[in-house]
Amino acid sequence: MVEDKETASDTRGRLIRPYFLTRGRTRPSRTDFAMTSQVVATPQPEPVELGPEYQSILQKCAGPVSVAEISSHTHLPLGVLRVLLADLLDQGRIVVYESMWQRERPDTGTLSTILDRLRAL
Amino acid sequence: MSDIVPDSLKILVAGGFGAGKTTLVAALSEVESLHTEELMTNESVGVDSLDGVENKATTTVALDFGRLTLDERTVVYMFGTPGQPRFSFMWEELAEGALGAVVLADTRRLVDSFEVIDFFERRSVPFIVAVNCFDGYRSHDPADVRIALDLDSDLPVMLCDARERESVKEVMVELVSHVLQLELSGQ
Repeated sequence: MVEDKETASDTRGRLIRPYFLTRGRTRPSRTDFAMTSQVVATPQPEPVELGPEYQSILQKCAGPVSVAEISSHTHLPLGVLRVLLADLLDQGRIVVYESMWQRERPDTGTLSTILDRLRAL
Repeated sequence: MSDIVPDSLKILVAGGFGAGKTTLVAALSEVESLHTEELMTNESVGVDSLDGVENKATTTVALDFGRLTLDERTVVYMFGTPGQPRFSFMWEELAEGALGAVVLADTRRLVDSFEVIDFFERRSVPFIVAVNCFDGYRSHDPADVRIALDLDSDLPVMLCDARERESVKEVMVELVSHVLQLELSGQ
């Protein structure tokens, strides 16, 4: 049995406060980073000097990957990650794709397809 | 990597501490142990105080999630959603755009499911109830759970074993069937 990990825990092993990375900003410059939105790094003509957290994020999204997965792979809390992603978006280093189903429930045709795919697993 | 950007779908797996959310998500996920965390601010702690929280600079809430690729255009993310009211500050974001939710009920602590069921009903997030029978000895009767949770007669309540992939698959099939029925009936 895997234990649920939802008990509030302290920030074990973290040497700096999370929002230090965002220079104290707790809100991204944009708000369109749903956990399931897909992020893709844009090809950069030449290497640029970026902070290690930015580099780490860009390395994780060479192909489409969700905001939640980037958080998992970089160990950055969602709130912090969103601020950093907004910076990268402002600099044109990433493209963000919101799911067609981020704001509305799938239509019946799509639901039927999902059902078929689930049954076939 | 593929250049096709998939459309993602979100399914919530809500339940109290120890109900088996993490186990259920892991049973069906194609990748192991994905988790993200959100920082809990003082405001979000609310009235439900946490022991020792006043001594901590930041408190984090871990969210386990899993991924299931249905085809190259469709990816399902299953998010383990802490059911306790003190984590309700995360429910709004998790609920937005959710295809539906599985309320994983623990018959020892059915009361843990009340608040999150109430929330899903208010937000019109379709859900089903799955009773996790992992303990193997306790008797579970879906009819009793339906009465105890005051659920409509057309809301699916099923037994499952959160450790078993096939069982979890059946739960997801039941949920999507339920959502499809609701859509077809115009609800």
